[in-house]
Formats: sequence, structure tokens, C-alpha cells
Amino acid sequence: MKANLRLYVLLIRASVRGAMQYKFNFIGSAFVSALVQFSEFLMVALVLVRFGSVDGWSWYEVGYLCGVMTLARALYRSFASDVHYLEKYLVSGDLDPLLLRPVPLLLALMTQNVRLLVGDLAQGALLVAVCLRELLASGQADWTAIPLTLLAIVSGAVLLFAIGLATAACGFWLTRIEALQNMSEDAARSAAQYPLTLYPRWMRTLLLVALPVGLVSYVPALYIVRGEYGAWLLVAAAGAAAVFLLLALRLWTLGVSRYQSTGS
Amino acid sequence: MLFTVLAKKAYARNLQYRASHLLHNVVSLVFGFIYIRIWAGLGEGSPLGEYGSQGMVAYIAFNQCLLWVTMFITNGLGLEQSVRTGQIALDLLRPAHLFYQAMSREWGQIAYQFLYKSLPIYILYFFMFSLRLPDNGLVFLWTAVAVAFAAYLSICIQYLIGLAALWTIESRWFFWLNYALGMLLAGFFIPLSWVPGWLRALSFCSPYPYLLYVPTRQYMGLDGPGALLGAAGWACALTALGFFATRLARRKLEVQGG
Repeated sequence: MKANLRLYVLLIRASVRGAMQYKFNFIGSAFVSALVQFSEFLMVALVLVRFGSVDGWSWYEVGYLCGVMTLARALYRSFASDVHYLEKYLVSGDLDPLLLRPVPLLLALMTQNVRLLVGDLAQGALLVAVCLRELLASGQADWTAIPLTLLAIVSGAVLLFAIGLATAACGFWLTRIEALQNMSEDAARSAAQYPLTLYPRWMRTLLLVALPVGLVSYVPALYIVRGEYGAWLLVAAAGAAAVFLLLALRLWTLGVSRYQSTGS
Repeated sequence: MLFTVLAKKAYARNLQYRASHLLHNVVSLVFGFIYIRIWAGLGEGSPLGEYGSQGMVAYIAFNQCLLWVTMFITNGLGLEQSVRTGQIALDLLRPAHLFYQAMSREWGQIAYQFLYKSLPIYILYFFMFSLRLPDNGLVFLWTAVAVAFAAYLSICIQYLIGLAALWTIESRWFFWLNYALGMLLAGFFIPLSWVPGWLRALSFCSPYPYLLYVPTRQYMGLDGPGALLGAAGWACALTALGFFATRLARRKLEVQGG
């Protein structure tokens, strides 16, 4: 475990060093990625500015939901980089050389083409900071909200990673997983950036149990910024993240054992 | 005619992947559903101005379907890959203009996406949210014109993005930038009449409103056909820009790959 961790840090550094050889590309992609996220948020923000609240959630509360989600996603994508792009490896057969390496496959994938999503991280952090500041100032939340938010972000990142990993693992059977990823990662995440009470009951259950993106920002926010239920919500979210990660890892191991290389 | 041959080929190629595209439709349907639910939530606390609660549902539903003929067309019309593989040199050698070739192919793609994506998704929304059809036949005519312009403008924009690859090799960023800016400035999620004045002014200085906002308002019978003049103007301007860029590209051509 310790050796793997050391290897992981070493490989990440090498990957970043490699990317930095194309500095302009590196900076540009970070910038554009942040801009895409920002304009997505701006659409929502404009609506909220105009109408004040969604389903009883204020501008700052929804901003908080979006911010936590952005940060969790940015962490997941930064630290597990090419897991999301497994399809590319499966289709081209580029997975074979990775399998030959004397490192675990997952570790190898996680350290390929690392992109630190600096722009996304900065934007998410700014959004959470602005919203939390307002919520603290109005007395709606107290200072414990800060460490709890950090906990929610980390556990959210783990959960998003678990979902991403499980979806990627399906690729060992399906090969083409882009549409599946659109569903389990993008659509689900977009839905969970808003109060889940907007959706019909079946969809809410889906987003909390089967594809639990609701546990990334919505459930922690219920306690942290709205003081509903109790602190156990956070424990439950973190516990679910751990369980889902274990399940995803098992699926991944099973998937790898079924791997068939492409022809030609 | 070259146009029909290329368009038909692109259409036929897509037809092979019908089953796989069905999954895209489901994803798109879900995305639209999420946006519609958000507006329904907003509509509970506010009358939502000139659109009304049901009108906003119709607005989002129509926009979501329009995406498949405007925003979700081929990245850079496939020119980026041609630059990478060197195929672009052969395409430029052909006795037809590069823009004409790329455009013809893309019309086939758009026809396919319209029939197999936009329409089925709209029909489903139609029944899911009890949408209304326009009661005036002329509205259909002007909407068709507006959608055709929207598709053509998208082709022009993607052509310019694709050509940029001759200078930058990688034009994926431009694609994403166009996507992000486009969604915002085209009034995808919020009608442009409701955004702050500066943003509205900015968006009407760009061709983006003609991709989603204007066609949707035509369909909803909120604007007369006069609103399409702007689209025609932009179509001329972007076509001229495309020709100019092709001219520069001919001199810039470097053959990559191998």
C-alpha cells in the first residue's frame, strides 16, 4: 500500500512534468475547462438572480450545492485522470502496454495524462467560499460548516470516483461506454446540483440509492447549511462513499479479468 | 450532384449506428427532463412572465431537441482529424471547394440527427408534458426556415473551428469554448429576454441567439418572421468568413501525419 502510494505520487509528478512540456496546451485546457464550468453555472445563477429561489432553496444554498459538486468532480478528475477515458484504451488496444507494466492497472491509468483542473478547483472554491461566507454572516450556518464542507467534498470526490470507476469497468464488457458515462456521470451530476425535491420520487430514490450522486452535495448540504436531520447524514454519506468504492473496485477487478484485447 | 451524394453517404453511415444512438437519445431526454423539472420548480413560486410556467416547459423542450441540429454536430466538421492525418491535403486537392464538401457531409449528418434524435425526443416530450402544437400553419414554415438557418450557422461556426486546426493542430478547445459560450449566449436554459442587459447586448452581437433562442420563439409564435433577417445576415457574414479562411488555409497547409 505504502509502496503504491509512493509510486502514485511519483507517476503523477512525471505525468504533470510531461504535460508541462506543452505549457500552452496545459494552461489553455485548464482555462477552457473552467470557462465551460463557469458558463454552466452562470446559466443557473442568472435564473436564480431573476427568480430568487428554487423550491425554497436560496441563491447561496444552490450556489453551495453547485460549488461542492464542482470541487468534488475536479478532485476526482484530477486524481483519477484517465479512468474516465478508458474507452479510448479499450478501442485502440493501448491498454495492453499498461497491463505489461509492473504497476497495478488502475494506478497506471490514474496517472496517465494527469490534468490538474486548476480552473475548476479555483472556481468551485470561490463559489463555496462566497456562499459559505454569506450563510455564516446570516447566521444560518456556524463555523463547523467549514471543516464539514471539506469532509463532504472529499467524500463526494471518493463517491464520484467510485461511480466513474464502476462505469469504466462496464467497458470491459461493453467497450463503448461514452453514452453510459454521459448518463451515470454527467446527467446524474447535473441533476444533483439542484435540490432533489424538484424531481419525482422515483428519480430522487435513484439519485440517492442506485446512483448516489445526491450524497455528494445535496445530502451533506441538508445538514451543513440547512440544519435538517442531523450530523449522521454526513457519516452516512461518507460511509456510502466507502462502500461504493469497495464495490466499484471489485467490479473493476472482475472486469480486468475479463479483458480481451482488440484485434489488429 | 456532389451535395446529395455526400449528404446521403453521411446519412447512411449514421444509420448503421441507430441502436447505439438510441442511448444518446435517452441521455438527452433525461437532461431535458432535469432542466424542465427545474423550471417547473421555479414556476411554482413565480408566474414566469411572458412565457408562463407551461410555456417555459415548451421552451426548454424545443431547445433540447434543437441541440441535435445545432450544438451537437460534428466537432469542427471533422477537419481537425483530417489535419492530423494529413487527409486535408487530399481534400483541398479535390475539384470542389473544401467548405462545400464539409458542408454537404454535415447536412446529411444533420438530416439524420433531426429525424432520429430531435423528432423522437420532441414527440416524447410532447406527450410527457402535454405540449401544444402551433395552431397557425405559417408558424411551421417560419420555424422550418429558422431551424435551417440555425443549422447552417452552426455548420459555418464548426467549419471555422475545424480550419483553426491548420494553425493550432488541436482545435478541441475552440469546440468546447464554442459549446460553453453558445449554450449561454443562445439562451439555452434561460430566455435571453431575462438575462441582464449587458449579456443580452453581448449575445445579440454574436450569431448564437439564432441557433436556439430565435427559432424557439418562432415556434412558440412569439416573434414574427422579421426576426430571421438577422440570421440571414449572419449566414452571409459567416459564409464570407469561411471562404476567406479557406483562402488563408490553402497557403498555410502543412501535411502532418504519415
